[in-house]
Amino acid sequence: MLPVRARLGLRVQEVLSQALIPVTYYGIVGWLRYRRYRVPDLSRLRAEFAALDRGRRGPLLVCANHITLVDSLVIQWALAPGWRLLVRPRWFIWNLPDRHNISATWFLRTLGYLGKCVPVLREGPPEEARRTLEKVAFLLARGQSVLVFPEGGRSRIGHVDLDRVMYGVGRMLQQAPGARVLCVYARGIGQREHSDYPRPGETFFVRLSAFAPSTAHQGIRADRDLAMQIVGRLVEMEQEYFAHANLDR
Amino acid sequence: MDNAAAFEKVVGIIKPFVKNQEAFAKPSEGTRIIEDLGVNSARLVDIILAFEDEFGIEVDDESADKVRTLGDAVQMIQRKTAPAH
Repeated sequence: MLPVRARLGLRVQEVLSQALIPVTYYGIVGWLRYRRYRVPDLSRLRAEFAALDRGRRGPLLVCANHITLVDSLVIQWALAPGWRLLVRPRWFIWNLPDRHNISATWFLRTLGYLGKCVPVLREGPPEEARRTLEKVAFLLARGQSVLVFPEGGRSRIGHVDLDRVMYGVGRMLQQAPGARVLCVYARGIGQREHSDYPRPGETFFVRLSAFAPSTAHQGIRADRDLAMQIVGRLVEMEQEYFAHANLDR
Repeated sequence: MDNAAAFEKVVGIIKPFVKNQEAFAKPSEGTRIIEDLGVNSARLVDIILAFEDEFGIEVDDESADKVRTLGDAVQMIQRKTAPAH
């Protein structure tokens, strides 16, 4: 179980992040616009997300493909406008970036903290992974939303990489009975392979798919089964993207 | 099951996950699964589940975390398949 100090730390982070949404959210959106990034069907996506959440409470696990460092920012931008986050704190999604990516400068550390980031150490010791799972379990138990990249890091092959799939997302789901899963497939249409940032002026393809994975297995077999169902859905969404890529471009 | 037989089975199970075939050409009990063989750490869970299926054992998280080398895997399997006294 997560120590009291860590729980308190997450609560404080939640409160401060929520209070500073007008600065962080619109600051980040300003930067995205400065880079001339575009999500063409923003209104439709936000309406779709709102409809998926309408009348529901409880935790939400957002599972997405991962190809650039800004995927989580684009997803948050695509799902809800800043003012909505002020009235629906649950829509301000926690995410789990690689500690190395957000610890380089005080600015990034601050931005990560206020952006509801729980830094994780990739390829770290098992205790580190367990601690991360405990934090996610705590957040989901409080009805929060958490963004997870089941591939564990940016795909190095330009598409969803089944060889890198981490089963932790299955464990998170098992630890949060009643959590809903929302798969998000997002990528810049000019994005051929992984990079730190999408090219300036990039247009993003974003699709959502609500999903209710289930398993008859127990323990780590259940972790694997659930994780593979989620990644399977992301693969289907990716196939749809490539099948219709010419139309969407 | 003797040590050599368990080792051979462990090597057979790990083989599909190995990226560094050169290091895998001469496996020893000290060969590290991730660092030497280049096995993706995310795939360790698949390897542990394959051990469970092959040897009819159950591996808890704590035991799984201790498996770093081929020798660790063999020892864990030996312990779990040893008849209870």
